[in-house]
Amino acid sequence: MKKETKTNKFISIPFIGELALSGARPLIGVFLGLLAGAGLIALSGVNPLHAYRAMLEGAIGSPQAIANVLVRASPLLLGGVGVAIGIKSGVWNIGIEGYMYAGAIGAGIIGIMALPVAPIVHIILAMLAAMVFAAVWGFAPAYMRAYRGVNEVVATIMMNYVAIFLTSWLVHEPQFMAEPGSFFPMSLLIAPTAKLPILMKGTSLHPGFIIGIAACVIFYLVLRFTPFGFRTRMLGVNPIGSRYAGVKVKKQILLVLLIGAVLGGLAGAIEILGLKMRVYMDFVAGVGYESVAVALLSGGNPLAVIASALFFAALKAGGATMSIQTGVGAPMTTIIEALCVIFVIAVGHGERMRLRRLEAKAKGTEEVQENDN
Amino acid sequence: MTQNEEVTLCMESITKQFPGVLANDQICLDCRKGEVLGLLGENGAGKTTLMNILYGLHQPDSGKILINNQPVEIESPAKAIKLGIGMVHQHFKLVDTLTALENVILGIPSKSSLHLDLSTARKRFLSLCEEYELYVDPSVETWRLSVGQQQWLEILKALYRDAKLLVLDEPTAVLTPAESEQLFKAIRKLTGEGRSIIFISHKFGEVLEITDRITVIRDGHVVGTVLTKEASYSELARMMVGRPVSMERKQRPENPTIEPVLVMKNVEANNDRNLPALKNINLTVHAGEIVGVAGVDGNGQLELAECVVGLRSRTAGTIHVKDHLVNEVMSDPSFVGYIPADRQKVGLFLGLTVAENLVVKDYKKPPYNRHGVLQYDTIRQHAKNLIKEYNIKTPTEEVDASNLSGGNQQKVVVARELSEKPALVIASQATRGLDLGAVESVHDFLLAERNRGAAVLFISTELQEVMSISDRIIVMFRGEIMGEVDGDDADVSVIGQMMLGKVEEVAA
Repeated sequence: MKKETKTNKFISIPFIGELALSGARPLIGVFLGLLAGAGLIALSGVNPLHAYRAMLEGAIGSPQAIANVLVRASPLLLGGVGVAIGIKSGVWNIGIEGYMYAGAIGAGIIGIMALPVAPIVHIILAMLAAMVFAAVWGFAPAYMRAYRGVNEVVATIMMNYVAIFLTSWLVHEPQFMAEPGSFFPMSLLIAPTAKLPILMKGTSLHPGFIIGIAACVIFYLVLRFTPFGFRTRMLGVNPIGSRYAGVKVKKQILLVLLIGAVLGGLAGAIEILGLKMRVYMDFVAGVGYESVAVALLSGGNPLAVIASALFFAALKAGGATMSIQTGVGAPMTTIIEALCVIFVIAVGHGERMRLRRLEAKAKGTEEVQENDN
Repeated sequence: MTQNEEVTLCMESITKQFPGVLANDQICLDCRKGEVLGLLGENGAGKTTLMNILYGLHQPDSGKILINNQPVEIESPAKAIKLGIGMVHQHFKLVDTLTALENVILGIPSKSSLHLDLSTARKRFLSLCEEYELYVDPSVETWRLSVGQQQWLEILKALYRDAKLLVLDEPTAVLTPAESEQLFKAIRKLTGEGRSIIFISHKFGEVLEITDRITVIRDGHVVGTVLTKEASYSELARMMVGRPVSMERKQRPENPTIEPVLVMKNVEANNDRNLPALKNINLTVHAGEIVGVAGVDGNGQLELAECVVGLRSRTAGTIHVKDHLVNEVMSDPSFVGYIPADRQKVGLFLGLTVAENLVVKDYKKPPYNRHGVLQYDTIRQHAKNLIKEYNIKTPTEEVDASNLSGGNQQKVVVARELSEKPALVIASQATRGLDLGAVESVHDFLLAERNRGAAVLFISTELQEVMSISDRIIVMFRGEIMGEVDGDDADVSVIGQMMLGKVEEVAA
């Protein structure tokens, strides 16, 4: 008799409402993050509205500003989507920083050579070299995680340090890459044929953001519509079940981590060929870790990575303007980024707890009914 | 209750309600000085809740606890320890990175706040080891200890605090037979000194071996208490089965069973703790028959199922499905259908839609995958068909599987595993936690598979359903097949005794 209520159980959970809520979650989190940031700005004695207006101006106030945001977004897009696929499959690929360095080394070695080829070929060769270097670099932690059960967070972070200092060593004299007699250890200049084209005069806008957005769209489609993507999502929600369903779990984890490595390597190459023109030790200080924050904000969805990478880049670009115009320190932008990520996670956690309570309630009544039987 | 026997513990009318579940319903229990009281019941019967109340981890909604005839309020484990209650939880509460000795003295206030007197503690610890023959090296970090030694350590911890009443929650689950013997020896020594033991288990054999009296709990209330030496196997079997076994057999056509589908020869395998879980299993299941596997939970059934589908590697023997040697995961549902015991952890992908859940084993094949692109229209249509055919209650096929009720989640798994008409079906605890209607429909689906000509291995701890659905029944006990009976004239008491590890006496 009471069974009627049970078969209708799913109606008691308004899942369409839940879905809308889960979509709004990052927005609520970002809003709360900005709100908390406003509080901190106010504490430092500046009107937060002025500060945020300066920030907005610095981010989208002029075509140059927008170009600046897009340049900053390029490595975040690629790195972010690399981490995001990992999140979707349940592994934390924190090695983007290291892959970027490995990629930069690869792109640098090819890039500084004077090759008698067309620029497009030189660029592609340099990028391929970057991806191969990063893949080889990423293979060690990926193999350890997939086949030896080593925690991937620890392994990839440690490899980051190795990559950074390897880069430093390579650009010191007497290594072949190093610029002789430079005041600061750096590599030789990238050959003109290997430089990425500039899309807008008076800015450093290179096509990196197009490659980044394309990568996000491609991996969205891969996750959504290919067997490989389906396996990845299966692994993310249920690793035990994936094995039971015949997924080669170890191989899949290895591949997902390697894809992250290749994307990270490409990001490093674009940064070198498009912006920095040289390889040196701190050429992307912290961008790889920022990619992790970008991916966290996106919840692992590659399309959302586009939005969150642009948001982070805008915060950074605008932060400089804010700092100049209002005197609020530029590190405030990093704080606001962190606050946004924390609030997005917190909102998500609160949401899960609420769902779990709903579920427990539904399950509770079910069990009582079973006891009645 | 005899008057001259001293009662150490008396729990009266303990009731505990959790949201939606009545875990303990008017439970009365007493434990006397120097006796071992067995607390018997299946998983989820309420044993652990009752003991957590005794140890101050939960507060009862009503009822009272008397220790040495004095009513007590046990509001915390600290109070329980003060009252002389020691508890060895099923999942040990040890600090892995501390040494054995440090674990034992953890939480005991030191006499001086400046100096930790380890040497005295060490002497006391070693003398306890000696006395009860439970040897643990006091200076070794706990994570280095074997599981058995960690249990000794838990017991020593309680004895160090001079526990008069020791609760052991499923102590033998993690022990080898030799270690169990050692534990039993220590238990006898403890009771000889006038300490009392509450021994929680769902394994009959050991409860009968070590206890003086047995209290059986089922569905949150006491079924009865018996003296161990007067307990008959059949009486215990009846108490264990619980509800009276109705012998209603499912009607079935005769199938000529000749073609062997599953052939297991001398199969041995270990459990997750690397202890032997399957011993010399020889089993053949033919096309068109249901072979039921009866037995108390934890006697190798899970490992049996996992070996057959290739999820667990065997240490010896061969398994063939048709002519195919099993050496990797059998994930082709047109060959082997496997309904796993833990649907949420293994069988389902909560977070994927119902439609996606229905193709997790088939997504690589056409028509679901064409030229590397998943055909979602086909996948959705496939789902719509199965939802109708298997009567899955869901608003649409695009809903996340976590929104379905337990019974409908199970139907999703059943539909996926059976719809491809596999040659072999393994159903492991396929009806656990389902309401009667859902149980009935799972049975009907499996019977339909049998009638179609599939070989079905039906594993369940519910004797009643094994007897109602199986053509043949095998009984497992401690990883071995104790015997086989015909489904049509199976006798509960015969099976019940096999479940306890007794064979020939009755079979004759």
